[in-house]
Amino acid sequence: MEEYQAVVERIEALARAKGLSFDPVYFRMSDGEEIAEVASMGLPNRFIHWYWGGTFKELVTQQSKEVFSILELVLNTNPSYAFLRRNNTYLQNVLVIAHVFGHADFFKNNHWYQKSNKNMLNEAELHARTIRQYEQAYGAERVEKVLDACLTVASTVNAFERNPAERSKRLIYYLEERAPLEEWERHLLQLIREEAEYFDLIQRTHIINEGWATYVESTLLREVLTAKEWASICMQLCNRPSPYLIGYSLFKRIEETMGYERVLVVRSFYEDVRLIDEVLTEDLVRRLDIFVYDPKEKTKSYDLQQVKEMLIHQKLYKGEPHVEVEPGHNGRELVLAHCEEDKKLDPKRIALFLKAVHTLWRNPVKLRANGRVYTYDRRGLSST
Amino acid sequence: MEDPAEKGMRIHRGRLAQYKHDQLLREYLKQNLNELIQQKELVVNGKVKTQIATLDLPTLKYGEELPVLAQGPGGQGRSKGGKVSDEEIVVLGGILGGDHHGKELRVELDFDEFVRLAQEVLLEEMELPTFHEPTRSGEVETEDIPELDDLDRIGLRPDLNLEETMIHSLLRNVRERGVLDYDVDLRYDGWYFVEDPASYQNHRSLEVYVLDISGSMRGEYLSLVRKTIFVLWYYLEKRYPTNLRRYVVFQDVAEEKTREEFFCVESSGGTHISSGFEKAMELLEGVTEYDKFLFMFTDGETSSSDFDLARRRYEEALEKFDLVCYGHVNPGGRGIGGFSEVVQEMARKRPNATFANLMDLETIKAALTEFLAFLRGERGGSRPWRSTRRSSRGSRH
Repeated sequence: MEEYQAVVERIEALARAKGLSFDPVYFRMSDGEEIAEVASMGLPNRFIHWYWGGTFKELVTQQSKEVFSILELVLNTNPSYAFLRRNNTYLQNVLVIAHVFGHADFFKNNHWYQKSNKNMLNEAELHARTIRQYEQAYGAERVEKVLDACLTVASTVNAFERNPAERSKRLIYYLEERAPLEEWERHLLQLIREEAEYFDLIQRTHIINEGWATYVESTLLREVLTAKEWASICMQLCNRPSPYLIGYSLFKRIEETMGYERVLVVRSFYEDVRLIDEVLTEDLVRRLDIFVYDPKEKTKSYDLQQVKEMLIHQKLYKGEPHVEVEPGHNGRELVLAHCEEDKKLDPKRIALFLKAVHTLWRNPVKLRANGRVYTYDRRGLSST
Repeated sequence: MEDPAEKGMRIHRGRLAQYKHDQLLREYLKQNLNELIQQKELVVNGKVKTQIATLDLPTLKYGEELPVLAQGPGGQGRSKGGKVSDEEIVVLGGILGGDHHGKELRVELDFDEFVRLAQEVLLEEMELPTFHEPTRSGEVETEDIPELDDLDRIGLRPDLNLEETMIHSLLRNVRERGVLDYDVDLRYDGWYFVEDPASYQNHRSLEVYVLDISGSMRGEYLSLVRKTIFVLWYYLEKRYPTNLRRYVVFQDVAEEKTREEFFCVESSGGTHISSGFEKAMELLEGVTEYDKFLFMFTDGETSSSDFDLARRRYEEALEKFDLVCYGHVNPGGRGIGGFSEVVQEMARKRPNATFANLMDLETIKAALTEFLAFLRGERGGSRPWRSTRRSSRGSRH
């Protein structure tokens, strides 16, 4: 790490001069495996679950085949922890350092991050310990079954939603409040919900965050690097994965049309949906070559409205079917409804999903989808 | 600051999670092995595809192909011209919005890993013995320079020795007799050189797998064959870690295939068993492997015009191979007829012919006992089928 000390200080000073601010950032040299581990688990000391194992395995394989490697990782904590990869070239790591300061600035200054839990690193550790204790007390198998179910419904969190009525339409909050769970089970659900909210925030600001970090990176490095190095960077920037590229292009557009001051405002108050809604234009859609692809018809549509709607839908519901708890049912009944009735759900997944919900709800669970009502109870799945 | 992680002292949570994941995967495979193994195209690009939903979290998914957000190569900074094919389109779902932890899991296994897992499952189900990795007992590692108590026969050193012998011979003859000639008799002075290196006894064995892929060989048929081969591999690999394996498939005509292709078959066409034997014998040309095994898998329904030819070829194969194992693939458990009947008859008479009726795991187990009888025999020092030939081998002087 010593060899980077000077360049870290220089980049940090440049960043501050550009009006950026951040909590302390700790850089840490690590190997590809450690980065794959953190990337697959989301946090370095989170509880161990088989689900991350699959992702971890895949990332490690990809890295070993040089198909794809994660260059950098930053945690939204105070202080921020950033992981550099030992195998990166010096230049790559310089890029990463600049990029990381972009993220750190975003974590500190973006409105939506104000309420985020900066102590997540420690909490994840505590969660992991709690889960281990429960495993001792109630048996690993029982705990895993509950965890699997909790993680299955975890995608229904919404880190932005503060209105209790709206929140209770979302399955995980509803279950936490009303499911007839034992105390330790409810506690598990709560832990998973907290972690899921932490990730939900990151996910909902993925494009703007990566876009901003890439923008910062390119702005700062123009002053740090030689012309030749800079040219090779520009190539690399174009080959970044889509969220980076889309976000970066949007920030560039703001800079060109409204100036740097506006750029800073956007990074402070916007999240993905608003950024896309306000800044994405027909011509950017064309240039980025993003489109709505219909696999049945094999057609592409560059229609701005369609692309926008699709992007926003992705952000709001994570690309998963949107299911809400139907209000007005009391007591033991849990009725879910699929909100886009015209889209069909895979019946196999419905069975698996309802089974998982049933593990937590204990009583019959109903789902309105595909023009019928599916019921899961003690006897299994039935539909009418 | 002392960081224990710097010294490699950390909990490898990733690997622990992977272990848990793989345990579940194993369970899944155990339950679904039969279905997986029947896939017509078992290996694609070295991978076995699985249709795993259970290793994913059971979240809801759409049941139809819906329009998706995607990105073409233009946005990735690659060439803008030309038509965009399906492959160049990157679907943005997982990257942009889906689960934080990345894309949807559809588990693909390395073929080797799949085979190992399948072996594990099969051996357990059939209650067959497992081997540990060969122990290296008796081998003592030492830092001392080994005592030179033997002469190399092949390699650089004997070559140099021979060269030196010949140069000295040349010089001596020039000096003493005034002729520019050697007086080296290669039979004595270069004894190590005379022997054709190709005739060295090679302790590898050759295994030729021949598979009938005519129209009837699908589903349960393939499953039986593949299970048998996997378990065979398990034992042969332990015995002959370096052996050579070649693969032939046939219907009307026979073709040699790679290992991967062998497990990707399109069953079609008629059956000419003779062609399978012919191809297998062709493969023997120039082969110096010590033992030659032939494993033939078919349902025995060779076309009637081929019947006599197939019988002749089979008899020839018995001459040329040390062991000809014939697996009659018979998932329905019907009576044995057709060409298989001939083989069954022959197996009673000829020591190096074996016949197995593959109907289920139980019969695969019986087949292995048949096929691998030599492993036991060898341990006892006798190799029952060896009488057929062996005398022609070896040109040691």
